[in-house]
Amino acid sequence: CTSIYRNHGYVPSEEDLAQVQVGVDTRDSVIQAVGAPSSAGILEESGYYYVSTRMRHYGPRKPEVVSRQLVAISFDQRGVVRNIERFSLADGRVVPLERRVTDSSIEDKTFLRQLLGNLGNFNPGSVLNQ
Amino acid sequence: QNYTFNSVQVEGNQRIETSTIVTRAGIARGQTVSAGQLNDAYKRILDSGVFETVEIIPRGSTLVIKVVEYPTINKINFEGNRRIKDENLADAVTSESRRVFTPEQAERDAQLIAEIYSSQGRVAATVVPRIIRRDGNRVDLVFEISEGDTIEIERVSFVGNRAYSDRRLRRVLETKQAGFLRAFIRSDTFIADRIEFDKQVLRDFYLSRGYVDFRVNSANVEFTRERDAFFLVMDLQEGQQFSFGNITTVSEIPGVDAAEYQGALKVKPGVIYSPSLVENSIARQERLGLRNGVDFLRVEPRITRNNRDLTLDVEFALVKGPRIFVERIDIEGNTTTLDRVIRQQFRSVEGDPFNPREIRESAERIRALGFFAESNVETREGTSPDRVFVDVDVEEQPTGSLSLGGSYSVNDGFGVAIGLSESNFLGRGQTLGITLSTAQDAEQYVLGFSEPHLLGRDLRFDLDLGISERNSSFANYDTSRKFFNPGLTFRTGELSTLQLRYRWEASEMLARTNAATGAVITSEIAQGERSSSLLGVSYVYDSRLGGLNPNAGVRFEVGLDAAGLGGDNEYFKTTAKTIAQTRVWHEEVTLRATLEAGAFSWRGAGSSRTIDRFIFGPDVFRGFEPAGIGPRDLSGGQDDALGGNYYAVARFEAEFPLGLPEELGIRGGLFYDVGNLWDLSNVNTAGGTIVGAGGSFRHVVGFSVLWTTAFGPLRFNFTKALKKETFDKEQSFDLTIQARF
Amino acid sequence: CSGGLRNSADRTQDLDGFSPEQIFERGEFELAQSRTDDAAWYFSEIERLYPYSNWAKRALIMQAFAYHTGQDYPESRAAAQRYIDFYPADEDAAYAQYLLALSYYDQIDEVGRDQGLTFQALQALRTVIEVYPDSEYATSAILKFDLAFDHLAAKEMEIGRYYLRRDHYTAAINRFRVVVEDFQTTSHTAEALHRLVEAYLSLGLVNEAQTAGAILGYNYQSSEWYESSYKLLTAAGLKLKDRGNNWLSQIYRQSVKGEWL
Repeated sequence: CTSIYRNHGYVPSEEDLAQVQVGVDTRDSVIQAVGAPSSAGILEESGYYYVSTRMRHYGPRKPEVVSRQLVAISFDQRGVVRNIERFSLADGRVVPLERRVTDSSIEDKTFLRQLLGNLGNFNPGSVLNQ
Repeated sequence: QNYTFNSVQVEGNQRIETSTIVTRAGIARGQTVSAGQLNDAYKRILDSGVFETVEIIPRGSTLVIKVVEYPTINKINFEGNRRIKDENLADAVTSESRRVFTPEQAERDAQLIAEIYSSQGRVAATVVPRIIRRDGNRVDLVFEISEGDTIEIERVSFVGNRAYSDRRLRRVLETKQAGFLRAFIRSDTFIADRIEFDKQVLRDFYLSRGYVDFRVNSANVEFTRERDAFFLVMDLQEGQQFSFGNITTVSEIPGVDAAEYQGALKVKPGVIYSPSLVENSIARQERLGLRNGVDFLRVEPRITRNNRDLTLDVEFALVKGPRIFVERIDIEGNTTTLDRVIRQQFRSVEGDPFNPREIRESAERIRALGFFAESNVETREGTSPDRVFVDVDVEEQPTGSLSLGGSYSVNDGFGVAIGLSESNFLGRGQTLGITLSTAQDAEQYVLGFSEPHLLGRDLRFDLDLGISERNSSFANYDTSRKFFNPGLTFRTGELSTLQLRYRWEASEMLARTNAATGAVITSEIAQGERSSSLLGVSYVYDSRLGGLNPNAGVRFEVGLDAAGLGGDNEYFKTTAKTIAQTRVWHEEVTLRATLEAGAFSWRGAGSSRTIDRFIFGPDVFRGFEPAGIGPRDLSGGQDDALGGNYYAVARFEAEFPLGLPEELGIRGGLFYDVGNLWDLSNVNTAGGTIVGAGGSFRHVVGFSVLWTTAFGPLRFNFTKALKKETFDKEQSFDLTIQARF
Repeated sequence: CSGGLRNSADRTQDLDGFSPEQIFERGEFELAQSRTDDAAWYFSEIERLYPYSNWAKRALIMQAFAYHTGQDYPESRAAAQRYIDFYPADEDAAYAQYLLALSYYDQIDEVGRDQGLTFQALQALRTVIEVYPDSEYATSAILKFDLAFDHLAAKEMEIGRYYLRRDHYTAAINRFRVVVEDFQTTSHTAEALHRLVEAYLSLGLVNEAQTAGAILGYNYQSSEWYESSYKLLTAAGLKLKDRGNNWLSQIYRQSVKGEWL
């Protein structure tokens, strides 16, 4: 069987990126030139990150990331572009995710109440022993 | 000038506390207050909407507030309403018992009731609110209604229509003349917005037939003298009929080649122009763009008219749409279904470029889940103009059904039957079906479970296991089966899926106490319980999974079961099925052709049994009883169906509207079935008088009535066999569910 | 009270003849028998027949309470709203507003489900806290407000984990950043920071991961989340293979127990 490819996210094209000059552009002019970042850092002064991922869905296997481009635009204290770096899939790390979850204090409806609460659908198939 | 008060006195209030009025006035003791502030206090008290009159009188150092409260409503009732019940009116009316009565509100309610009547065509209805004083400043509010009778449309006629006759246009319009179903159907009563709607219907009708300059100049209405009927005259301006000139595609996006998108078009020059064909072509190109992963692709049709040869040249421009991203997908209203079950229907992820077509297709997938009475997906601007919030608002509906039954028979005693089926088990999107029935001759302990997104992937896991004993009234033996059947289904391409399954089954044919069977069946019963352990694979190609054309579709399926992995039976069973469907004549008529065939080849020692071979009922071949066609054994005065090793069936059908109004939901259908079930090789036919082993092609024609009822889409089939074997068992009427292809 | 009222409420009976006090006692009796909707009907009759008596006011709040115990939330909301409209300055108005808030709050259930109710509960609870700050219900309203707020954060976390597990790291990062920025006071901030460490590391943005780890360490030094982040950041964690992660246990956890990973 063939694999299905799906693209996610967005990375500005080379021509757009060329318009961004280090030491000149500010945060707003960057957004003007190349569009809004996919994500940003936590602190005020952290950079803008543009990420585009290409995923391959192949049969029953878990969809896997086949290629990822990441453009990181970092800014200095004055909010002017300090550096434009490029990362790829190779720079990513395989991270085992923590399975534990902070449990929310709100208890869920009991199993039975959920099951019985949902009755009432009539499907004609059962009558005509379809 | 201004005042200072050191005490406030309230007079005339009965239900409302003095403290409440003082806090609402908002004037503290000893605070110097200007006349303007006094006026504001007056307005604040009045705005509470509870007082008929309010007076503020400064008397020296005390402020006196005199109020007269509105009375409270004790009861509301309606007199003179025959067509609309009290409860419906009570819902619509804003005044409520126990709340405050205000004349303006009563007036507004009266106007509301009059509007409800006029929306049902009783334009002459009049409503008068009246009050009956009760003790303790309470009132009863009565709405006196005189309904007047409905106003019917007598004749609808047209001026200026050359291409289509009055009768044809009348059929297009929804306001039918006051036909024979007069009292029954509401739609032929005169409603102002109905006329507006009909103008739209006429415009669509003409536009979709190439009359791009069509206009309704006027739709004037004349009263009959007795004001009980109307004459509706529509003055039309048709203009000329246009067809497609040359059709081109041009790409203004670097890296996108126009020829590929031109190839996706199905519309040809010379065809009659219609907006839906243009929209369809745009849909095809945008879906192709979606599949090629082109971001922000928008298709803009640029139409140039050449009036000389009445053609329209259409140039599809592939342009780079605005750079907009999906910022958040928020889901609300899912009180039972888990968030992930809905979210995984979206292929776009938060942060992806915004693709309206993909969002529409995801909305369609959410609707198709069948868990929601209402589900709509809207987009609104996000925190900045180039970002968008996708809001999913759903309203749940019950998805579980429980059936309880009991049975008592003299020799078997009590039997209980419990059936639970849930298509959204615990809100996880899983389907679960449990049937337990201990009735003596139909014992069933069956569990069916399916998880459409195993491990969060696009991977469907199905499991069916259980013990079931079936006694069909079309055979003289019972069948008992024990089975365990897991399966995995996954996508192998954009339009195709593959299922791998394993099935272990122990089946036995059981003689029925008071029913004799022919020689063949008796020998098969003697074989006792035989087990088969098989691996199966099914490949399905369905052009509608991501297909470009919403109106037509092809579904091709081929399956192979290979038994012999252990177990007694060894055989190959292959089945193939192709369905092609298209909608023609302005998408009103559906044409469907189905070809189905199967081959069963017994590999092992001994002989196969009827329950191993193919045997089918009206769901595969209409016009016959279950096990009605195919080889039979007439020995010992019996008439046992034996099934067959090969079968081939073709079904051709058409579904079309019967011209009845939409509200009834009735459509007609014509069909022609032809097929055969034959071959008894590897069957122990000793002692049997076999007929129809070679079989012949049976031909059946019939018509059906398709009625979408509140219980579900029902289908009544009436059939006539043109050519059949003498020993076949015909069945000329059958009630089934409309199969959704 | 008089025998005539003994049988269970037949709603056609005209109660004009009875004093409001008698009907009120009958309502309390029904409530004691936990026939809540009958009790509510009796209280509503007092309000209809004697709207200006002191009983009407008490009956209205009892009506809201009765519907609430019977879990008929829309009716209890309507009755509570009527009380607030008529007697806003009354000392029971705080309780009416609190009942109104509870009618939304009690319907919130497991995190995976509807969050629309949570917004309404938060707004109603906020009115209780702001309009009746010194009433006895303000404290428990504040407690419930925090719980509802925590529930909203849990919802953001759940969607963040949904994207994290499917390798959509930027979508996950944006959701976890919402929790860190807008929901600092909730119990989910520690986990959100750890998930940010996981997501940034997966993308290869090591310095952002370290910043998130530092904030986590500074504010939640003793939490297990800091421990997990510490392991990840000191690279030792990367070799750690997840225990008990064969595909069968994965299917059991996810399809049968409904867990996320």
